[in-house]
Amino acid sequence: MKKTDPLLALTTAALSLPVFAGTPPTEKEISLRASSYEEDDISKTSVLSGSPERYKIDKTHFRLLTPLGSDWSTEINTSQEVMSGASPWGTFSGSDEQPSLIMSGATIRDKRTEVAVSITNYQDDASYGVTLGTSREDDYKSRSISLSAGWDLNNMSTLGIGFSFSDDDIEPTDAEKFGRIQQAKKQTRSFSVSWTQIINANSLLFSGLTYTNKEGFLSDPYKLRDTRPDKKTEWAASLKYRIFIDSKNAALHLNYRLYNDGFGINSHTVNAEWHQNISSRWKISPRIRYYSQSQADFYLDADDFSLPKTVNQSSDHRLSGYGAITVGIQMNYDLSGWKIKIGFDRYISDNRYGHDSSRHSHPALLDFNLTSLGIEYKF
Amino acid sequence: MNYLKQLILSSTTILVMGCETVAPWDRDVLARPEMQLSTDPMGDALFEQVYLSKEASSGGYKTAGGGCGCN
Repeated sequence: MKKTDPLLALTTAALSLPVFAGTPPTEKEISLRASSYEEDDISKTSVLSGSPERYKIDKTHFRLLTPLGSDWSTEINTSQEVMSGASPWGTFSGSDEQPSLIMSGATIRDKRTEVAVSITNYQDDASYGVTLGTSREDDYKSRSISLSAGWDLNNMSTLGIGFSFSDDDIEPTDAEKFGRIQQAKKQTRSFSVSWTQIINANSLLFSGLTYTNKEGFLSDPYKLRDTRPDKKTEWAASLKYRIFIDSKNAALHLNYRLYNDGFGINSHTVNAEWHQNISSRWKISPRIRYYSQSQADFYLDADDFSLPKTVNQSSDHRLSGYGAITVGIQMNYDLSGWKIKIGFDRYISDNRYGHDSSRHSHPALLDFNLTSLGIEYKF
Repeated sequence: MNYLKQLILSSTTILVMGCETVAPWDRDVLARPEMQLSTDPMGDALFEQVYLSKEASSGGYKTAGGGCGCN
């Protein structure tokens, strides 16, 4: 059996820091992850017609990371999702002004297949990467390309930049039957810049800024009345702080994101994770996330059919003002190159949790469970 | 945008004022798996997609990937 030189192991570990852009992976990594996403049903009293049964998605994700020689690596990600359940078609205001929903039937079934291939070149103090991706559903096709680069500066920090472009085709099912748009396009361009800085021997800070521009059909084709602008700009700034606490043998992760877009939505996202080492093999990581968003400028509590179709309006719950909390935990088990990861997260949302909420809580606001099981092997 | 300016100014100030030089041989803690920016890329991808399709916000950490018709 091959023995590892402790000095070599330490040097390799020290060089595999997130602030070193020019460090290629030294081992192959193969991973498989199965996850189950399950939304709670909507209260039957809030549904005027259709099914209260909401989305369930089973996903299988495969990932392979391989060094190619000493200066290159490639990464392949493929995933498949199987979806079923009902989604909201429209929102109506009852006599008590409380919104009620028209839901689709529970028979929506779809499958999504995604493939992304990346190749990265490593120089002494830099890395350059390209990713090509495609995603296919019955009613949606997307092709994307991403370019990224990172430079190590003064041995203490890394500057990263990125650009991505995606070209999407939308072909809603049953378009003629329900008078939906038959074909539409959407294009997304995104730019990012980031700075990762070592603060001291136990902590580091990442700062990132992204600008995204979307053009084309940005409405939801399945809603009875949903008209959104055909252009949208998005700004997002983020911080990630990592600190290792020696006395607890644990690492604390704190992330914050500020978001603002051309639809008039601004949001705050804060999340914290505690990575506790229990032994050399076991690790437990509880986590909590808080999210709050304001509503879009054209959001309405209920669809207004008296307005011309050209006037912007949407009663989509995702454009309402609300807040959400996610609480979860992940267990990791390591053994001779093998890793097993089991995670469970519970998400709840309500307009009472938000910093700038809509007047009424949207009945379609989500609660869901997300469970995942993963296995990884390094060789 | 005022929020953004304040955030950038604050983080830059922290970086300039508060950093210590850490020699490569003193970086064993920073190299630990639990100290990486992403400790679980597949888990991050899963959450990113869920939140992207179920909330109005996205981005902040890297450029946007390909789209989906997730409802």
